[in-house]
Amino acid sequence: MKAIEDFTLIGKTVLRREDSYLMRGKAQFLDDLPEPKGLIHLAFVLSPYACADILSVDASAAKALPGVIDVLTGKDLVGDIKTFAPVIEIEGYRDVRRPVVAVDRVNFVGEYVAVILAESPYVAQDALDLVEVDYDPLPAVAGIEEAEAAGAPVIHSHLGDNHIFRAAFETEDFDARFAEGDLVLEEEFRNGKTAGGMIEPRGCMAWPDPVATNFTLWTPTQIPHIVRTAIADHLDIPESVLRVVAPAVGGGFGTKAHVFPDELIVVALARRYGRAVKWVQDRRESLLTNMHARGHILHIKVSVKQDGTLCGVYLNLKTNCGAYPNHPYSPTLEATGCARMLPGPYRFQTYRYDVSSLITNTCPTGAKRGTGQPSAFLAIEGMMDRIGRRLGIDPAEVRRRNTVRPEEFPYVNVVGVRYDTGSYLPSLERGLEMIGYDAFRAAQPKDRLVNGKYRGIGICNYTEVSGTGAPGWRVRGFAKMPGFDSSRVVVEPDGKITVYVSQADAGQGHYTTFAQIAADRLGVACEDVTVVEGDTSKTPYGTGTFASRGSVVGGGTVIRCSEKVGVKIRRIAGYMLDADPERLVLKDGRVADPEDAGRSLSLREVAETAYSMNNLGLPQGEEHGLEATDYYDPPMVTMANGTHVVQVAVDPEDGRVEIERYAVVHDCGRVINPRIVEGQVHGATVQGIGEALMEEIVYDADGQHLNANLLDYLMPTAMDVPELELDHIETPSIDTVGGIKGAAEGGLTGAVPAIANAVGDALSGLGVNITRVPLRPSSVFEQIRRACTEKEGRA
Amino acid sequence: MTGSPQWLSMETRVKPAVFDYHRPDNIEEACALLAEYGADARVLSGGQSLVPLMNMRILSPAVLIDINRCRDLAYLREEGAAIACGALTRQSEAETSDLVASRLPLMSIAMPHVGVRASRNFGTVCGSLAHADPLAELPSVASALDARFVIASSRGRREVTADEFFVSALTNCLEPDEMLAEVKMPAIAEGAGCAFHEIANRAHGFAVAGVAACVEFGPDGRCSRARLSAMGAGDTTARLSPVEALIEGQRLDDALIRAAGAEAAVVADPAGDVHADAAYRAEAIGSLVRKVLRQMQGAAVER
Ligand SMILES: Cc1cc2nc3c(=O)[nH]c(=O)nc-3n(C[C@H](O)[C@H](O)[C@H](O)COP(=O)(O)OP(=O)(O)OC[C@H]3O[C@@H](n4cnc5c(N)ncnc54)[C@H](O)[C@@H]3O)c2cc1C
Repeated sequence: MKAIEDFTLIGKTVLRREDSYLMRGKAQFLDDLPEPKGLIHLAFVLSPYACADILSVDASAAKALPGVIDVLTGKDLVGDIKTFAPVIEIEGYRDVRRPVVAVDRVNFVGEYVAVILAESPYVAQDALDLVEVDYDPLPAVAGIEEAEAAGAPVIHSHLGDNHIFRAAFETEDFDARFAEGDLVLEEEFRNGKTAGGMIEPRGCMAWPDPVATNFTLWTPTQIPHIVRTAIADHLDIPESVLRVVAPAVGGGFGTKAHVFPDELIVVALARRYGRAVKWVQDRRESLLTNMHARGHILHIKVSVKQDGTLCGVYLNLKTNCGAYPNHPYSPTLEATGCARMLPGPYRFQTYRYDVSSLITNTCPTGAKRGTGQPSAFLAIEGMMDRIGRRLGIDPAEVRRRNTVRPEEFPYVNVVGVRYDTGSYLPSLERGLEMIGYDAFRAAQPKDRLVNGKYRGIGICNYTEVSGTGAPGWRVRGFAKMPGFDSSRVVVEPDGKITVYVSQADAGQGHYTTFAQIAADRLGVACEDVTVVEGDTSKTPYGTGTFASRGSVVGGGTVIRCSEKVGVKIRRIAGYMLDADPERLVLKDGRVADPEDAGRSLSLREVAETAYSMNNLGLPQGEEHGLEATDYYDPPMVTMANGTHVVQVAVDPEDGRVEIERYAVVHDCGRVINPRIVEGQVHGATVQGIGEALMEEIVYDADGQHLNANLLDYLMPTAMDVPELELDHIETPSIDTVGGIKGAAEGGLTGAVPAIANAVGDALSGLGVNITRVPLRPSSVFEQIRRACTEKEGRA
Repeated sequence: MTGSPQWLSMETRVKPAVFDYHRPDNIEEACALLAEYGADARVLSGGQSLVPLMNMRILSPAVLIDINRCRDLAYLREEGAAIACGALTRQSEAETSDLVASRLPLMSIAMPHVGVRASRNFGTVCGSLAHADPLAELPSVASALDARFVIASSRGRREVTADEFFVSALTNCLEPDEMLAEVKMPAIAEGAGCAFHEIANRAHGFAVAGVAACVEFGPDGRCSRARLSAMGAGDTTARLSPVEALIEGQRLDDALIRAAGAEAAVVADPAGDVHADAAYRAEAIGSLVRKVLRQMQGAAVER
């Protein structure tokens, strides 16, 4: 392990500097930004049908409304914006492009049918009701099974059927090895479609610079550089004339890590009208049209020995792509991601998967915190419990027997992913200890009924893919996903430091953690560092903030870049002090020569020399300025890990699940700021509680979205959150700079399977088989009732 | 080269369709406005249901009559054996009122389930009643309390019962020129018990089903009078009369409670939606009836 022992600020809780404005309501989100003069406001006419031909659009009444500038249909925009699609280069993926506003056909409820341009948002809203669209409704398919059924309507005719993606993988001699087990267990798991659920809906504003032919786009995105590339590409404008700025972002959770049609549209219209253009969605639009996630069907088969060890695993995964592939990932993100992440902390080396993604008449799906992992672990962790129940082995023991052992690191898993370090077994043991597992099991009656409620414990041992580098994206076919991130660290003439990072914060606390890192490496106070990100005109190019890459890749590049500047600081200071630069130390805002105790320079004095603000001059061959730029491409992936152990009580009278105890052990390698890590673990766990117990986007058979509001789409609030008992283990990576691993998604990944398993354990005495989330009272009650009826039938 | 935008200050924005706005100072003025605008007008009290509906443009009233300045409607007082609650009494005022806690304990225990603190600070008791949501707590409470609804218009006043007031989902019995001026709720009788329970998919917000109950016991320990009202059991808050009939005159023993629960599940006529199907709601109401009655058993024994 490469220990960087001299950390001073890395690893310390530093209060989040962004809280002072976030908590006081002073952050400038998109809709808080001052507005340019002559601003055009947009509103979109949304399709009320899941599938229909557009026969005509009559906008005459809307256009007649005072304040309406124009109403444009898909046809009107064809010349301005190319059809929209991600670039995916992998076998089994078939291209599907979409017009940014529907042209002849709508394919999901909420698809854009026309765009209203008005002098005020109020008028734009009024005009929405005046646009008359004549539709010819067609049969729609909303679910995976309906989409693949024989005779199902084919949504994109050029595909011939509704498959957009299929992939398969198989280890050598799969069948023979799989057959070596003593028994085979099989199950089908499902999870509901959910939304990212960020508090700030999306919106964007484009402004054409009247002085030059430049455009600025403000958009609350997690991926400003990728947005810029996509817009330039689809609008045929040079990237150099487009600036993309992410203002304060009110939560992203992966949803805002996509490129959206409206981002292309506002820039195209700013170009066409020579005026600033703004659009802000409301909650209904947010839930209807932003990316959805999950909605998976996982059929899993495991072959096991009598002692509970896995001989082989087979996964058949089907995902719901929605009507179009998301940009930039396409549905392969969740499909391949889930299948490749399923091995988790386990040692099995025989694996086969078949994955497919189906086009349906629903909102496109894409990235959301955890991506394929909550599904993958729902399946594999669900099987661990089933193996235990079937063989009469404690489910914790089944996990122990299958987990990668400490001495096996670095370990290469069955799909070729390297686990450099990890604390899989220690983390499991610690979680069990925190919850008092052995005592609970010893006291647990066979029927699990205690004081009128069924009580059980669920475990989830997970790994968390983080900080994916270029090779990790290439292997999955993401042709245009850079993988690296970058930074520029500048020591200003006054000795203060500005750090420009290619990422975009959505509330994670980058402005604090990156300042901490730079301050640590340059030996200055945190307050002396200013962090700038989320602006393509200020920072070098990079991938952005998603998939737990912020601290791994962003943090890594800031470490490297700060150290690069440190070298130049030492060179100049060495010249000024007439000392060997190698032995100079950066500490307390000064450059000191430890071998010559009295002698040091302030960083400002060094900077003044670098910027030619004194008479000292620079060493021969040294350039002016005091800065460095760094591009850091991390390893394929780095794996964080952790364990959730949950105790629940289920009320058989009404099916309610109550979380009684909740323990989380978490290992994200080198911790930069413990408080921020805890916040990430808490937040992700709460989102997981939502997916496990209540959240689900509901489409009916005709593809109508039935709960596009926050009264009906239920996300947990503080009142639903139990006390979370947290513990950290710190096992630094040996592959990443600084030993950092990601921390933001594991909470969700751990929570969903752990809660499902706890309910499954509680109801195991009744013979209830928990295979689907969310576990709302009504569904739990129904399963209890059915199990009881079956029991009576047998008796 | 990049110029900089010429910034405009933000204007205040609203989302609903255009409407006229009136803010009367007392109930007479409010009634006069209602008489003038009738069906085109809506009363605005706490706005916790009306404003979201207008923002979503599900409702687009031409005229709003904001009664928040009608100080003569902001009261909560004892009138003989009843508590009178004026149209401007906030839910949070009722929640923290000693008078309500001692004389209308059913309302006290149900109130924390009504939305969140922020919505209760604005939302009024009468606004929730007028809104007539079949899944709202307060209509069930009012119904279980045998409340009287005092209706005002420029034509005069009239009083109706909960059964008459709640017509169907989101529909009350008010004529276009009428408003709900007050709700009068009989104070709890000596030796009576009350209970409220609900089942929800999450702790905050609307429930899937709920039951409010008020039961009086005779000196012999038998139930002398029972009032049970269910939310989520139909398209309005519904009294569970057959259940009441079943337990009146009886001792609340376990067998009776089981029978009452079973009866409740049969009488309930719920609808299904994204939160729960109809079959579950019926079972849930059965289980809630058992739960409130078991709690009442305690009240009977205590005496
Ligand atoms: C986040 C949130 C959560 C909520 N959760 C719940 C919940 O769990 N349970 C629940 O029951 N409610 C809930 N609500 C709704 C809340 O309780 C409302 O306060 C209540 O339904 C309406 O009361 P109001 O005073 O705000 O009425 P308003 O919204 O002003 O009016 C509601 C309707 O009643 C009419 N009206 C109001 N007052 C009168 C009157 N005096 N005479 C005639 N008509 C009148 C209005 O015209 C309108 O049609 C929630 C609201 C929010 C915002």
